[in-house]
Amino acid sequence: MAGKRKLYIQSAIALGLFLAATFVTGGVIGYLSEGDKDLLASPVALAVVVAFAAVSMLIAMWISLKWMSSIDEAAQEAHKWSWFWGGSSGMAVGGVFVILAAMPQAAALKIPAWYADRTDPAAYAATGAFAMLTLMLIGYGVAWAWWWLGRR
Amino acid sequence: MNNRLKVLRAERDWSQAHLATELGVSRQTVNALETGRYDPSLPLAFKIARLFQLPIESIFSDEE
Repeated sequence: MAGKRKLYIQSAIALGLFLAATFVTGGVIGYLSEGDKDLLASPVALAVVVAFAAVSMLIAMWISLKWMSSIDEAAQEAHKWSWFWGGSSGMAVGGVFVILAAMPQAAALKIPAWYADRTDPAAYAATGAFAMLTLMLIGYGVAWAWWWLGRR
Repeated sequence: MNNRLKVLRAERDWSQAHLATELGVSRQTVNALETGRYDPSLPLAFKIARLFQLPIESIFSDEE
């Protein structure tokens, strides 16, 4: 119990630091880009964003590892089972769309520009990644609920 | 796999929450164990056996 409480506190601190870093970074970028409109297109900005994304994901992985080791074995099994079956099922649904993308009809498909109002290849790639991730997470959630409901 | 967890717990007049605390697992896990819908790992099975001071085979059986 004490271990879990410690994890909650550490996670809250990590989230707080992340939000503070995001706020400060956003403020600095906003201030600097006011005088230089091409700032975000510079190699330095790219390096900063790459580093920020990498550190964010490392922190997320660290919290996940801590979380996974703090829960009991049945809860761990539920997550593993759900990620395999639910995640795989979600990926299978997404796979149908990946195959359909090879059809000539798909070339004329227009996807709403939701990603920073962009419709370039990188924005479409991000759309595909988010769509696949969403399907996998939906499958994961359903499988997780299924696992626990079956063991009530 | 069948087990006598529910009976052993009732004999001691323990709640699921109490047993969960003793084993260091959640109450939901104890419930899943008792209903036979989740088989424990060997370390947890040994922990259960130690707690009830019984051999593992007198708590768990693979007979239908």
